[in-house]
Amino acid sequence: MIYLDNFRSTMVAPEVWEAMRIAAIDEYAVPAAFTQCGTGAAELIERAQNRFAGAIGASQNEIVFTGSGTEAINIALRGSMLAQAIDKPEIVTSEIEYPATLAVYRALEKEGYRAHYIKVDGEGKYDLDQLSSVLNEHTVMVSLMGVNHMIGTIEPLTDAGSIIAEASQRVGRRIPYHVDFASALQTQRLDVDAVKVDLVSFSSNKIHGPKGVGALYVRKGTKMRPITFGSETYSPLVPGTPNTMGIAGFDKAIELLYATFDKDVDHMRSLTNRLATGIREHIPHILLNGPDGSGRAASHLCYSFLFIEGEAIMMFLDMDKIVVDTGSACAAATLKPNYILMAIGRNHEQAHGSIRFTLSRYNTEADIDTALGKLVPIVERLRAQSTIRPPAQ
Amino acid sequence: MAIKYTAKVIEHFKNPHNIGVIENADASATEGSPACGDEITVYLKIDKATDRIEDVKFQSYGCASNIATGSIITDLAKGKTIDEAEAITWKQAADELGGLPPVKMHCSVLAVDGLRSAIRKYKKEVKGIDYDSTLDVKTVTEELKHVLWPPVGVDIITLKMVKYIGIDQGAVRVEISVGSDDKFLDPTINEIVEHVSKIRGVKSVNVENV
Repeated sequence: MIYLDNFRSTMVAPEVWEAMRIAAIDEYAVPAAFTQCGTGAAELIERAQNRFAGAIGASQNEIVFTGSGTEAINIALRGSMLAQAIDKPEIVTSEIEYPATLAVYRALEKEGYRAHYIKVDGEGKYDLDQLSSVLNEHTVMVSLMGVNHMIGTIEPLTDAGSIIAEASQRVGRRIPYHVDFASALQTQRLDVDAVKVDLVSFSSNKIHGPKGVGALYVRKGTKMRPITFGSETYSPLVPGTPNTMGIAGFDKAIELLYATFDKDVDHMRSLTNRLATGIREHIPHILLNGPDGSGRAASHLCYSFLFIEGEAIMMFLDMDKIVVDTGSACAAATLKPNYILMAIGRNHEQAHGSIRFTLSRYNTEADIDTALGKLVPIVERLRAQSTIRPPAQ
Repeated sequence: MAIKYTAKVIEHFKNPHNIGVIENADASATEGSPACGDEITVYLKIDKATDRIEDVKFQSYGCASNIATGSIITDLAKGKTIDEAEAITWKQAADELGGLPPVKMHCSVLAVDGLRSAIRKYKKEVKGIDYDSTLDVKTVTEELKHVLWPPVGVDIITLKMVKYIGIDQGAVRVEISVGSDDKFLDPTINEIVEHVSKIRGVKSVNVENV
């Protein structure tokens, strides 16, 4: 199988699985004080916290592990908002966020929060002027993302952080700034102080760690209230027995990520360039979704193949054991075209023909050449069958 | 939870029967639209003495089930008289494929609509039988039987989701009842507009969720 759907989820690295196996056998106790097995489990979590914190310029106590990236987002957004008592609260995000963020915002809107969804340009970059203009004394949250999962856009987090910091000064209190970094972690470095961010969500399964583990950075001093309750093993924000096996896996995945980070990013960049060049050379009538070159994540490509439909392309590739994703309405459970493609100005037809290729460090040149070799005739064949044709030259 | 195609759907998707164009077809019709995500064109060659479909071909812009349903309805229609072919239902087409996921049932409706439109065009142009009916609540109701509610793949009339149909000088108002945040609301409204707009005499379609 050639797996090119790594923004959805990744293969667990063999070293990660080994770390999890050892944790399952040796560190099955609940983290606790004094006993050897209890402190062993506690140390495992501390080790993971320290490694994570070190990688993003944070300190150990600012990292908590969660049950998923989605859970981290929920704790970050709801937990922070519950801790603030502001009259007529307003919340800010963009129209192209990850579904978890948008779902929390929609739920909060029903509870009376006023939400602002900032627009993006044709490449999916945030309209920072609009961001600046919507921040006011009622704002209780800004939530943005590091890399857009559908179109690969690297978002201007640091510029947004400065705008939020200025607005915070203006209103005389800190406006909390949350970043969903799940899709960015694979290819982008993060310094929480440089970005001036208060809360950051992560997911293990996007970087060859196990599913069912996420992490949340909470800047020291950020007011938070728990959204679930139980025994507080190591943090009131995530009560209950921690998933030590999963955390051990996430820890190993982080270690592996940064051990070869620059080399892997260069490798993935060279593969996506190879794929993009091949597509441009062999397939006419295409549209690149998201920015070209350094403005997009190194592992990400998304093209619309005009006059045909993406689910059909995806199914044909799947039969050839090549795994990709599509923004076509036909492949969505809701039958709606992808909202991110629509937000950058694509029409329904262009969104229907979209295919997303997301790579990992495990992909090879041979993978790309095989995928390209299959993709070209599939597109030609579906176009030959289609009711719509390119306009006559 | 796991939405899968049957082996027969996959087979017809991989190797569709009767794909292509008939030059000098006796009738052809296109249904759907690229903006709605799928479109099919059906071409017919008909023996005028016997009214039997000698050859039928189709083209498809759409997903795997769109291609597979186009393939199966052309198989079913080939060799039949135009009356027999016109009576083929979307349920029959889906059954022939071993079933379709409910969310994909509308592909079968579209394929059958394409075939029926081509046959009716032939009947009108060659045999002088006019199918275009007047714009009234009955024709709108009949047309709305072609709009399926995606989670279950059953039409919105049978499901009693249509609460009111009003017509005023070509302006059609359809009131449906769905949860306001239902994820299928928008695509269903689009489908209703697409179908009702096809009826002769319709100038505008307004769908309200009440």
